[in-house]
Amino acid sequence: MGFSVRQITRRADGGEIVRTRVLAGPDITVGRGTDCDIQLTDLGIMLRHARISLMAGGVIAVEATGGIPLEIGGAFVTHAELDVASRPHVGLASHRLSFAPGEEPDSVTITTERVVAAGESTNAASEVEIFSLRRVLPGKRGMAWALVIGILAVFVAWPLSTMHRQAARSFHPDTLWSSGPLSTAHASLSNTCGACHHKAFVSVTDTACIACHTPAQSPAHAPADRMAASRVVATGMPAFTAAIHRRFNLPEGRCASCHKEHEGPAGALQVAANFCTDCHAELASRLSDTSLANVPDWSRHPQFKPTLVTTPSPIAPRFERVSLDARPHENSGLVYPHALHLSATNSVANMVRRQGLPAKGGGLGCGYCHALDSDRVRFKPIEMERNCGACHDLAFARDGGVTRTLPHGKPEQVAGIIHDFYRSQAVAPRAGVQWLADDRRQPGHAAERQAADLRLANIGGANARADAAIASIFAPGGVCAGCHSVVATGARNAALRYAIAPVTLNGHYLPKGRFPHGRHTSYNGRTGDAACIACHSSVVTSARASDVLLPPIAKCRECHGAARTAISAPSTCATCHGYHFGDGDSDGGDNSSGRGGDVAAPRHKYHVRGLAAQRPPDLP
Amino acid sequence: MASRGSAHEGFLRHANGRWCKVAILVSGLAIAVYALTDATPRPNGGTFAGYLLGSLAALLVLWLTMLGLRKRIITRGPYSLKAWTSAHVWLGLSLIVIATLHTGFQIGWNVHGLAYALMMVVILSGLYGVYAYANLPAQLGANRHEATQPQMLEAIRALDRQLDTAAQPLGHEDAATVRLSLEQCRVGGSLRQRLTGRQPGCGNRRARDAIAARVDVQRRQGKPDPALTQLLFLLERKDAALEQVRRHIAIKTRLELWLHIHVPATFALLAALTAHVLSVFLYW
Repeated sequence: MGFSVRQITRRADGGEIVRTRVLAGPDITVGRGTDCDIQLTDLGIMLRHARISLMAGGVIAVEATGGIPLEIGGAFVTHAELDVASRPHVGLASHRLSFAPGEEPDSVTITTERVVAAGESTNAASEVEIFSLRRVLPGKRGMAWALVIGILAVFVAWPLSTMHRQAARSFHPDTLWSSGPLSTAHASLSNTCGACHHKAFVSVTDTACIACHTPAQSPAHAPADRMAASRVVATGMPAFTAAIHRRFNLPEGRCASCHKEHEGPAGALQVAANFCTDCHAELASRLSDTSLANVPDWSRHPQFKPTLVTTPSPIAPRFERVSLDARPHENSGLVYPHALHLSATNSVANMVRRQGLPAKGGGLGCGYCHALDSDRVRFKPIEMERNCGACHDLAFARDGGVTRTLPHGKPEQVAGIIHDFYRSQAVAPRAGVQWLADDRRQPGHAAERQAADLRLANIGGANARADAAIASIFAPGGVCAGCHSVVATGARNAALRYAIAPVTLNGHYLPKGRFPHGRHTSYNGRTGDAACIACHSSVVTSARASDVLLPPIAKCRECHGAARTAISAPSTCATCHGYHFGDGDSDGGDNSSGRGGDVAAPRHKYHVRGLAAQRPPDLP
Repeated sequence: MASRGSAHEGFLRHANGRWCKVAILVSGLAIAVYALTDATPRPNGGTFAGYLLGSLAALLVLWLTMLGLRKRIITRGPYSLKAWTSAHVWLGLSLIVIATLHTGFQIGWNVHGLAYALMMVVILSGLYGVYAYANLPAQLGANRHEATQPQMLEAIRALDRQLDTAAQPLGHEDAATVRLSLEQCRVGGSLRQRLTGRQPGCGNRRARDAIAARVDVQRRQGKPDPALTQLLFLLERKDAALEQVRRHIAIKTRLELWLHIHVPATFALLAALTAHVLSVFLYW
């Protein structure tokens, strides 16, 4: 009667060492303690973990004595009686006790075995894993493949698969290829790469640009032959670059050679500062017949050469470009003293007050005659009725409630109207018809004029009165002569006896530039008319219409390109000039003004009564 | 060959800094090309200088990538691997100048920006690699104290066995404390744990602190338990051994990690570069 204990321990090579001993007595103790009958070196086991008692009939009682339950058949119990014949197992921490009937009657064999390997934080096999990143990071090769496939899929395959489909979608994959934002003007094309990039591997051609920007909208700078003659012949590096460009089908002079896209909001319209001066700095040396002055830069820009009227004409006025430095005069055919009209103390000022016209400091405001056009760049044409008529009225009679008025600009009609008026009065006199007789017609005096006696004896008297009236209208001091030069032709026919000198009002003094008046409404704190006069300073003293009242270029330089003043406005060529303003007759003007001195410029914008204002500018 | 004396000459100073000088020269030329060409309206990859610098940069990238093949064949002499490595590092650095000038300082959220960003990742990780190769091996050696990796692990295993034995006579609570050290103690671990060398809640540290507190109390009472004191000694030795292994792993991780960025990013760069060049000419 007793226990036979087989303690199995494992060697490192996997083999087993079995130690067998026999324990007498009905009770034995199991634990980590050295005083136990079965000692198990397992820190999970209590010093005295369990007691095993041999009972009658092949039954043993096991009892947990250390306070930690025993695992028997999957359950944790503190006490159990086990039939040895059924070969039960008891689990204690990492160890297992197996019971079996002994060789002798009433004896029990107990086999102890470690079933969970001793807790070792490390073992030799795991060395590589411990010291390398193998288990921590995906392999370099794997990551490389994943990234390559991912990038090619997203940035090549995806855009390629959709580039020719202009479907309405919120994101166009080929925009991943965009090298930068488009200019503001083209921003709406940002999702439509194909609008410009027509063919794969072919650079954007002018065809794409012309689809929207017709050649008529953006005329060439100058005739091609003159452009070719004036261009600097590239040498060295630029020539080499140009040759390479041509090799790749990128010739000079394409739209895209100047208008670069994908350069941000201002992109397509940005040109290099030297874009113009490359040719214009020494243009005269290559284009010997040009009359254009060389312009190396803004500080050496020549004085303004306004296009001035030399011979006014209703059909073919003649113009000449004269530098302001020559203190030129213009012949518009008109009599108009600016100083008189701007005075705050004379009869004009009085009229302005009485008529309720827009006044500035008592005198007539600039804007009464000079009204900005819809572009706010220049001004609407001066019209006699609108701008002068309030004071310089052409009333000649009062017929009942109607004021009879002479037509402006049609002197040949005037004689007929006056004759008709007197004759009708002689044939069928009517009451209430008054001749507003005033030989010296002062502006706006119509209401004050005395009505003359219009009782006429016969047709002969009427003709005589009419001739006298016509003579007084056209005579020096008459109503016309206030503003016009009147020429007496000596003709017997009253309708042809007087001629008004032709008038041509200059519509654009500097047609090669653009001066946006609407953006120059203040100057150094001055606004309104004070701002106008700040630049056009001579208007307040100008007594003759022939005075040229343009400010000199030095006036512009007070702000533009002036580094030393507080105000510093841009001073690039494009600030005033445009490249695509059109070649027009600039070349012709070029030549003829160089040779002939003056030029008839049919396309020059000028104002003549009866002729519509014409297309801009073209004298150089 | 002749100068292969005892004095070690690293790849950075190879041949009296020949490749450093070449890289400076190439960068200087790139800057000169950039500065002397007048791009309209502003510099970018599409100007003459842009194409020139871009082609140079692309060829350089391809050549730099070849180190991966070249390093598998070790030779000596003028075309030695050391010379290649030296050129790889210095020309790789000059790529920062060349490619940045190629962009004209315009970098956007697109395939071109991606290629540039990946290139910078590759170069900067490579720069770290140069630092790591120059400095970390010395740290690794200083930390090792002549022990090999298996010896370091064996030292810990030996301490574990001693701890297991020494804890056998202890009561359950103390035994459970020692089990913390035996069963809940790791070296290695996650990338972060490897890099920092810190294992928050390390079983050994907790066991050491608990036993140290108990010994402290006993010492104040004048009768320290020799078994516990012995245990504390073992736990402290294990702590030092763990510290050494973890520092070793931290340094090794730093030594290896940059290549885990450098190499995959290089291949990503090759893909992005392909997409960049293809897209530029596809939508010319």
